[in-house]
This record gives sequence, structure tokens and C-alpha cells, in this order.
Amino acid sequence: MITDPCVGVEHLLQPYLDRALSEAEVRTVEQHLESCSYCNARYVFERELRATVRNCCCEEPAPPGLVERLRLRCCGQDG
Amino acid sequence: MLLIADTLDSMAEDSEGAPDAPGRTSALGARDRARFEEEALGHAEQLYRVALRLSGSSQTAEDLVQEAYLRAFRAWRSFKPGTNLAAWLATILRNAYLDEARKQSRRPAQESLDEHGDYYLYNQLSQESREPQAAVVERLSSGAIVESLAAVPPVFREVVVLVDIGDFSYADAAEILGIPIGTVMSRLYRGRRLLKQALADRATNEASA
Repeated sequence: MITDPCVGVEHLLQPYLDRALSEAEVRTVEQHLESCSYCNARYVFERELRATVRNCCCEEPAPPGLVERLRLRCCGQDG
Repeated sequence: MLLIADTLDSMAEDSEGAPDAPGRTSALGARDRARFEEEALGHAEQLYRVALRLSGSSQTAEDLVQEAYLRAFRAWRSFKPGTNLAAWLATILRNAYLDEARKQSRRPAQESLDEHGDYYLYNQLSQESREPQAAVVERLSSGAIVESLAAVPPVFREVVVLVDIGDFSYADAAEILGIPIGTVMSRLYRGRRLLKQALADRATNEASA
């Protein structure tokens, strides 16, 4: 069931996941998540989604030899 | 090599106060050079990740990173040791990206999309599936996820890329983009909502295909 605290927590969830909240706000969010299955399910979803997006978008590694090419181009004159 | 960088530097119109302002082209001393190699090059992979998700192509991403490092090398003496090197480099990278986009005159329009709430994707998926998490992974290939991010308008995407892909803090992103932290946060949250909307559209299409 959606309650007023749920609305508050929805607003805090992104900065909570970004670790950008004050300690007091973190406590508020965590206490609410423990007791509210509606918000907790959404929190877990957001957390996992973020990890999935990050993994997919970082899957492609930097091309081999990138750092060496940069070194040569920038600092190459004197070896 | 330095000549090429010079020409490109003259295009950096919006780089007031940015660290890639043309400086002296005199060669760096051995000690500066060693510091550059040791410190700056260590951020190459992080910058490449950002460049790849800004530009969408691995060839362009490498070109951008090379251009950024050339500019950084030339401006190296203006970097203040002890300040945030990754953010300094990312600022140069972003200026290189904007210059390139301007050159191609495909400077991304800042169009807006319809927007739904933070839980849009969850709510969409939970209507059809008891396991919304699993539904994301089952229905969306990683290519589809990458394309969905690419579909987010650039003004929002660049903040998402810096924070969620590049691991920069809100404060770093504010410095790199030259905007207040509050603006970083509002663009970031909006960008993520737009991403979820794009993912929801794809997941729904996938389900009905």
C-alpha cells in the first residue's frame, strides 16, 4: 500500500543509491525499506537495474594498446 | 603533432576558463612528462568508457580520448596538483566531444520526451511478470540496453554517463559540465527516468513480438 512515507522515500531513492544522502536521511530510508514491501521491491529493482545497465554499458573494454598509443602520441618525441 | 592540436584548439569556443585553453606549446620537461605518464594516463580507461557512451562508436571514442590527451598534455602545466585530475581530464574530453559534434553539425538537439515517474519501468514490467528484475534481463539484450541509453537526449545522457558509467560524483559532474550540483541532480534523475522509459518501450515491444 502506498503511504505518505512511500512518496518521500521514492524521492530519496536515487540519491540513496548514489550514496549522496545525509546519515539521518539514510536512516529514514533504511527504516522505511525494512518495513514496506512496496518500496523495498522497487528499491531492489532499481538497484539491480542500475547494476545491469552499468555492466552492459561497460562490457566493451577499452581497445588493447590504448594507453600505449596515448603515451606515444603525447610523450613520444623523446621516447 | 603539436601543430594538429593547435588547429583543433582554436575551435574550442566554449572553453572559457576550461583547462584546454591554448597554452604555450613549448615542450614539457622530463619531470612533467613523467608525471603526466604516471598520473594522467592512469585515467585512460575511465575516460574511454565515458567517451564511448557519449559518442556511441568505439572509433570515435578512441579519437576523442586521443584528442583529449593531446590537449591535456599541452595544458599539463595548468593542472594544479592535488586537485581532481580525473575531472580535469573529463572536462577536456567533453570539450573535445562538443567540438567534434559541432564540426559534424550534429549538435544534439535538446528535445524533450514524455516522461514518467521513477518507477515506470518497474510498474510496466510488474503488470506482465511476477519477476520484473528477471524480465529486464530476459527481454533486453545488452545491445538493447546500450541503444536505450543512446536514445536519451544528450543533455541528460551526458550526466548519466558521467555518474553511472564514469563513476564521477555529483560534484565532479558539476565541475566537468560547469553547472550547479542541483542541475546535475535534476538532469541525472530525469535522464535515468528517460532511460527507464526507453527500456520499458523496448521490453514491451519485445514481449509483444
